[in-house]
Amino acid sequence: MSENILKVKDLVIHYETDEEVVEAVNNISFEIKKGEVLGIVGETGAGKTTTALGIMGLLPDKVGHVIQGSIELEGENLFDKSEREMRKVRGKKISMIFQDPMTALNPVKTVGEQISEVILLHDQCSKAEALLRAQKMLAMVGIVPERYKDYPHQFSGGMKQRIVIAIALACEPELLIADEPTTALDVTIQAQILDMMRSLQQKQGTSMILITHDLGVVAEMCDHCAVMYAGELVEYGTVEEVFDNPQHPYTKALYQSIPSLDKDVERLHVVPGAVTDPSKLPSYCSFADRCTEKCELCEKGDPECTEVNAEHWVKCFTYQQKKEGK
Amino acid sequence: MLKYILKRILYLIPILIGVSIIIFALKTFTPGDPARQILGNSASEEQVQEKREELGLNDPVPVQYFNYVKGIVTRLDFGDSYRTGKPVLSEITPRLWTSAKITLGAVIIGALIGVLLGIISALKKYTAVDSGVLVISMFFQSVPEFVIGLVLIMVFAVNLHVLPANGIETWQGYIMPMLCIGLASVASYTRITRSSMLEVLGEDYIRTAKAKGQSQNNITFRHALRNALIPVAQSVGTNLGNSIGGGMVLETVFGVPGVGKYIVDAITQRNYPSVLGGALIIAIVLTIINLLVDISFVLIDPRLKTTIISGSGSKKMKKVKPETAKAA
Repeated sequence: MSENILKVKDLVIHYETDEEVVEAVNNISFEIKKGEVLGIVGETGAGKTTTALGIMGLLPDKVGHVIQGSIELEGENLFDKSEREMRKVRGKKISMIFQDPMTALNPVKTVGEQISEVILLHDQCSKAEALLRAQKMLAMVGIVPERYKDYPHQFSGGMKQRIVIAIALACEPELLIADEPTTALDVTIQAQILDMMRSLQQKQGTSMILITHDLGVVAEMCDHCAVMYAGELVEYGTVEEVFDNPQHPYTKALYQSIPSLDKDVERLHVVPGAVTDPSKLPSYCSFADRCTEKCELCEKGDPECTEVNAEHWVKCFTYQQKKEGK
Repeated sequence: MLKYILKRILYLIPILIGVSIIIFALKTFTPGDPARQILGNSASEEQVQEKREELGLNDPVPVQYFNYVKGIVTRLDFGDSYRTGKPVLSEITPRLWTSAKITLGAVIIGALIGVLLGIISALKKYTAVDSGVLVISMFFQSVPEFVIGLVLIMVFAVNLHVLPANGIETWQGYIMPMLCIGLASVASYTRITRSSMLEVLGEDYIRTAKAKGQSQNNITFRHALRNALIPVAQSVGTNLGNSIGGGMVLETVFGVPGVGKYIVDAITQRNYPSVLGGALIIAIVLTIINLLVDISFVLIDPRLKTTIISGSGSKKMKKVKPETAKAA
């Protein structure tokens, strides 16, 4: 668990249209070690999916632009690779599970074809062999292998997501990016899917980025946790650190909004204000306008990363001052 | 599947009854005496009366209608043409066959070119290529078919002498009519393909295919095209139907003995058995074509199999559900 699989450094991604520039990802850096699971949490529009698409090299054509930064996979910068080389990375080294399993599968192809497609693309083998491996993958995700001849519409939502996972893991990727893999599913199915992902991830030794807005999922699945707000990572650390000792006011607010079974509350806690519009980001700390702990520095500049300890840092002036004050 | 086909063929019965009643009514209530028309002005009143009796025109209208339907059902007899005295069916069959060949060829030409142009302009959306394709296909749609036909005749028959200007005695005679109808339909196929291709290319499963590391060409042809073809196939069905009976103008331009021209001639000559028989036969053929097109949808889109084969899809769904529950 030592070498870095993925190293994202100073990544900036903008969506540019004729009318406006949306600063979706602003200068984020993080690393993932082999076998590690990193959870990225944040509200809708925080730039989580954009980060994932950036890593996959699948930003929308013409609109999505990487402005600066690098993404290194096993020491090689993905931005230096040609489209042809990137195709060998996708599906083989990095694969991705998308949010909505209902629409992620091609309705006119059998699930067997769709799983064996990725095997045929990346591994030298015959069609028959690929189909056999596809059936094994189906069995691995808990679907009767004989159903490889069936079409997506013949499966339920939870089973479709299992098939999507089978596709993603078919070539035993180094890194799996799961973008809200359970958001579109029934609560009872969510736990099953997460359990299965966890056990497959451990079995294959795959590193994983789990994008979610569900803190419970992060607590259960992840080793590290990154909190994202308005395209920035505002807090990063091991799950234990971030959960037990949250420092950023946004992280704290997120925890407060988890309903508690012990306390009798009439209204759930909400983070005040609306999500900062990423096309009109302020020049100062982007959370300042919603922050309950802001100090005089907050509306003057952008905070730097401040270490809480070796495994935990936060991007907040208030914490910085508190620490310096001590 | 068989049940579905039988059901669709049964739908044909009320359609045919409707068509036949309308045309029968037209025949009955239009002024003029068919017997007089057949025999000419020089015939005596007695001769005309005799002819009326022979044709059954003196019977009450419901009896006439009943006899007509009985003839079709028992002997496949659609009546005899007033003009030639030959059975309508034997007159129409070869003409229908000719029209069908031309229409089929035209649809193939139109759909092939149209789908190809549609794919190109979808892949090159908002570029000069896209606009160019749009302008060209709009051009062929806006210019009336017979103008394209006349230009084709000028070029290939009059100047280059490679194709016959008139008639279908040789296979070369089919080329220009097919090309003419085909080119006119290119624009609609192009536009349908372009918009459905653009829609499909934005679907999540295309992103899944990209995430697998699939190349753009394979994504276009293996993943997107089949999904994008569903609305195109629908339009092929409609076009086939429209062209078979509606090719009168071009049949005139190219001197093709087709079914459209036959019916129009029959109308001007008040040759009611031919009009009636022609309309009924075309209705039957169109129903069969539509049925074939609907069945072909199943080949393109497996989701329809459940709905088409089992009618409502409920039976098949029941079979799938317990298994789903068990495995999930």
